[in-house]
Formats: sequence, structure tokens, C-alpha cells
Amino acid sequence: MKRMKYVKIIFIVFTLFPFHLSAETAEEKGLRIAKASYENGRGFTDMVSDQLMILIDPKGNEVTREVSGKTLENLDPNDGDKSLTYFKTPKDVEGTVMLSHTHISDDDDQWLYLPALGRVKRISSSNKSGAFMGSEVAFEDFSGTDYRKYEWKFLGEEVENNETFYKLESYPNYENSGYSKRISLIDNLNRTHKLDFYDRKGELLKTLYLEDYVLYKDKIWMANTMKVENIQNKNITIFKWLNRELDVGINKKDFEKSSILRLAD
Amino acid sequence: MLKKYIISFLFLFLQYLVASQNASAIDYKAYGFIQPEITTFLNGDGRHDQSNSNQSIFVKGTFITYLNDVDQKITINTTGRIDEKDSERSYIDFQKLKYEQYFDDITLKIGNELIFWGVNESFNIIDIINQSNLAEDISGTKKFGQPMISLNYNHSYGNFDLFIMPFFKERIFPGRNGRPRLALEVDKSTVVYESSSKKNKIDAAVRYSTVYDDYDIGIAHFYGNNRSPELNVNPLSQKLDAYYPILSQTSLDIQSTKGAWLYKLETLTAKNGEERHFGIAGGTEYTIYGLRETTSDLGIIVEYTFDDRNDFAFNNEGVLALRWTKNDIKSTSLLAGLVADMSGSSNRFFAEFEQRIRDDLKVFIDMSINGEIDADDFTYAFEEDSQLTLKIAKYF
Repeated sequence: MKRMKYVKIIFIVFTLFPFHLSAETAEEKGLRIAKASYENGRGFTDMVSDQLMILIDPKGNEVTREVSGKTLENLDPNDGDKSLTYFKTPKDVEGTVMLSHTHISDDDDQWLYLPALGRVKRISSSNKSGAFMGSEVAFEDFSGTDYRKYEWKFLGEEVENNETFYKLESYPNYENSGYSKRISLIDNLNRTHKLDFYDRKGELLKTLYLEDYVLYKDKIWMANTMKVENIQNKNITIFKWLNRELDVGINKKDFEKSSILRLAD
Repeated sequence: MLKKYIISFLFLFLQYLVASQNASAIDYKAYGFIQPEITTFLNGDGRHDQSNSNQSIFVKGTFITYLNDVDQKITINTTGRIDEKDSERSYIDFQKLKYEQYFDDITLKIGNELIFWGVNESFNIIDIINQSNLAEDISGTKKFGQPMISLNYNHSYGNFDLFIMPFFKERIFPGRNGRPRLALEVDKSTVVYESSSKKNKIDAAVRYSTVYDDYDIGIAHFYGNNRSPELNVNPLSQKLDAYYPILSQTSLDIQSTKGAWLYKLETLTAKNGEERHFGIAGGTEYTIYGLRETTSDLGIIVEYTFDDRNDFAFNNEGVLALRWTKNDIKSTSLLAGLVADMSGSSNRFFAEFEQRIRDDLKVFIDMSINGEIDADDFTYAFEEDSQLTLKIAKYF
């Protein structure tokens, strides 16, 4: 009888275990990794940083743009973060301030202060695929970091530079995206290293490389360099985060429309 | 005269504040630009014997510093112009010369300030705090700084603003050689006020504004000297006499942002002297993003304004404009459109092009072409003032 019980247990284990493995479909596994990767960068509460954006054309001509910004993490998991961006260069836009309240399913709320006009304007945020300041980075690349904005699929593992990555495919589930799909490579610490973007026609448009990962507060991984290579027009944009500080205790009210004028000129 | 003393005092006070800081703690921003401009008038010499060309230099400088760990802020924002032909167009103004103190939910502000009310692109009918400089720009969009003490209370239900405004500034009109200019000169020596305190009247305003979902809403009331005087022909001097009534204006402005569509509305009811009037202006702006699979955007703007005063210059006007933005490294953009008097046949075409040509240089080309203008229209005096202006701004 005792032996019978043993066999039974083995039987149960054997039937359950493979069943459990095969229970996770490619979509579920993709979603699980994407969620873990997203949560890797969460818990920062708030953040301040200076950012450099270097635009390089196919001839090698370079221009640098400088902005500084603050971000407030939304503790409500069903709503997006708030951010305030101050533009320093080019000099003709110095003093421009942009406030954005991102949302997961709805369009974001955005306000812009332009020194030349001296007024705060509510602007449309349905421009998902538009270029940010003439760069190869689209507005949706900033607002679309939440894993819930995509459908996911695990494609398998891929070895690149002697390192094994999870290969994931994702399709935007929000309107007006410029992309038909994205393919990402994520390492075993759930950090994204490479992201290929395919345009609406299904052609490879650009590749994003995330580099200089830094571990903050012993638990949050953030890439301090982002490089975007546009395959079609051969332009390159490099984004660098400088002086990034997390959990500095920013007042929530700094992210309200009326606070834009405190930063404005 | 008193105002000059106060400005000097404010300047010294701000200097004292800056100087009293620990030197290493002073963190400031200073930037600005200088902009030479050349204008050619396309109809030859003007109807009032003005020249067919003009040259001008415009400058703007900004200085900002935060003190005591960003609880206090000092802003100095100066604009000025030297104009070749029109002495009224040469000026210097502290648009902003203010000290701000931030408390938790309250902001206290003292000094010169620019306050914009409204949502429209073209007909800003409710914008009343600052005086216009018509010599700088005949459309009235260029403003002078207004001295004030202001309090802002930021409550979870919205924002409450209170403005107390001493030192009224009279409107500036183009001078004899200005182009465009009114048919007759405005006489500066015969200005009359309804208020017995004249320009020393202390004006006041309150505003409540809030954001609710897709709506940005503002309700405001202004009581004080009207910024816009009545102009009456003096048969003896053959000049225009300006009369500033007391204005008591209540206004509402709303913008609704629905995807690529913006809907805008400004409306007011006001008692101007003894008479009450009503005005409404609004419209829509729709943007096509990624025009024909490029990175450029095309915005289509339609706005209309109505005022129930028959003798008011803009009582039934419409604008149709297109805004093209290339979204390139050079920030190339073009705004072009048509302004038309819906109750007459007067119209005007305008185009504004801009492009960054170097990191610190930007070129602007403005064009304004007057169509046929009715003889009884306020803008009839400008009929032959179609112009092309080239501006190059050097930023520092």
C-alpha cells in the first residue's frame, strides 16, 4: 500500500508538473517577463534629472539639446506618472515648460508654456508617432513604457554577444501608434537591452539600445543611455540621463497646471 | 514719477535679496535675444505719407533666480525696441520685474507681471490685465507689464487669483510716421478718464480656474480703467481724443481637448462706462499628425468673434488658418490664414514662417496682405500697408 501511495504521488507530480509548464502560453510568458521588466523600474517615488539629447545625421553632423525634468510616480497602478520638463537648449526655446499627466488607456493630459507667447496652453496628446524635438524618439516612446499598453508574446531565447536574452514581441493596443510591432531582448535580470520598432507597413524602422544600467535604491534598474538608430533615414539620437536622483521628496502640487508658472520665465 | 521711484525701489530690494544670499547658493538663469528687422511695404509710400520701408531692432532679456531653496523667486523680463521711423515704437518695458514668495498653497507676487487670460489663437477678447502696445503691433497682442500685488490660492477645487493693480498705463498708438497707423493722431494731452482718480485708480480682478477632465475652465471678473479707450475726433485739433471709461467685465473661458480636436470658447459681459455689451469668440483647431506619412503636422484653425456693439472694430470677424510644423531639427513652421469681416467685404491674408538656421540664430518672415477694405471699416486706414518683414534673432 505504501508503495502504491508513492507511485500515486509520483504520478501526480509527473502529471501536474508538465501540465503546469505547458499551462503558460507564449503570450502569458511574454506578459510575465514584460511585467517583471516594467516593475524593475518602479518604486522610485519621484525623480529629478538632467538630460542630454544628441542628434546625429547621416553625414555625422551633431547637435545637442538639453532639458531637465522631474517625474512623480503614480502609486495608483491603474494611472500613469506625471512629469515636468524644462527646456534649456536650443536657446530660442529656453524657458519652455511641458507638464504631462500620463494615463494607461486614455490620452495623456499635456500643457505647454512657451516664453514667446507668455501663456500656458493645453495641447493635444494624440500625436503618438510624432518626433520629439526633431529627434528619432517618438512621443509614444516616452509615454508608452507601461507593459499594459501592449499585447505580448514570448518568441524564445536568443544569444547575442555571449549573453542569453528573452526575445519578446509586442503589439501596441492604444490608438494612433506609428508601430505595427516591437521586438525586445531582455536579460535574466529583466532589463531590456534592445528594442526593434517596425513601422505601420511592417518594415523595420529603428532600433533602440538601452545602456549604462545603474542600480538605484538596491532594487531599481534604470538605463542612463538610450541610443536610437533609425534604419530608414540613418539618423541617430542619443539620450543621456545625468545627475539622476530618486526619491527626493518632490511636492505633488508641483505637477499641477498652476505650478507651471513657478518654473516659467 | 511715483512709479519710477517704486521701480527703482523694487530694483534695489531685489538686488538686496540677491546680495544677501550666500554667494555660492545663487543659482540664476540669464538669457535673451537681439533681433534686427527689415520691413518693405508692398504698396509703395503710405496713405499718410509714411515711408515704404522701415528698420527696427527688438531686444528681450530674461533673468531668473530662486532664493532660499526655491521658496522665493525673482524674475526680470525686459523688452525694448529702437525703431527707425516711429518714435512711439521705440520703447523699453519691464514686462516682468517681480518678486514671488511661495507658501504651501499660496503664492504672493509683487511687481510687474504679464497675465494672459483666454484660450483662443486669434481673438483674445477676455484678456484684460495688461495694456497693449499698438505701436509695436497693431493687432494688440504685444503687451506692457502691469504693476500688481497678486495672491494665488491653490485649492483642490481649483485656483483662486486676486490682483490689485495700481499705476494704469495709457494705450500706446503708432505715431505720425508709424505704419500702419490710424488716420488721425491720438492726442496725448487731452486724455479723459471716467474715474476721478484717473490713472491713479487702483484696479482689481479675481479669477477662478480649474482643470476638469478634458476641460480647462476659467471664470474672471475685472473692475478698473478700460485698457481700450474710446477715440473721438476733435474737430478743432483734427486729432483723436482718448476717453478711458471704467470697465466692469465678467468673463468665462473654456477649452475642451478631445484627441486631435481642440474646442475653444471665450465669452464676456461688461459694463463699459454707462453701456453694457456682450462678446463671444471661439472656434476649433484640428491637427493632422504625420501628414502624408512624413513627420510634419498640419493644424487647421477656424475662429469667429461677435460683439453686440455696432461701432466696435471686431464685431463680426472670422479667421481660417493653417499651421504647418515640420518637426525637424530646425523647427521649421509656417502659419498662414485669412481674416475676414463677415458683415462686409474687408479681408486680410497673413503668413508667418520661422526656421532655426544655427543653434543661436532664428529667421522669421512675416507677411501681411490687405485685400479690399471697406471705407467704414476700422482697418481702412491700413489698406495700403501690406508688408513683408524679415527678422533674424540672435540668442545669447
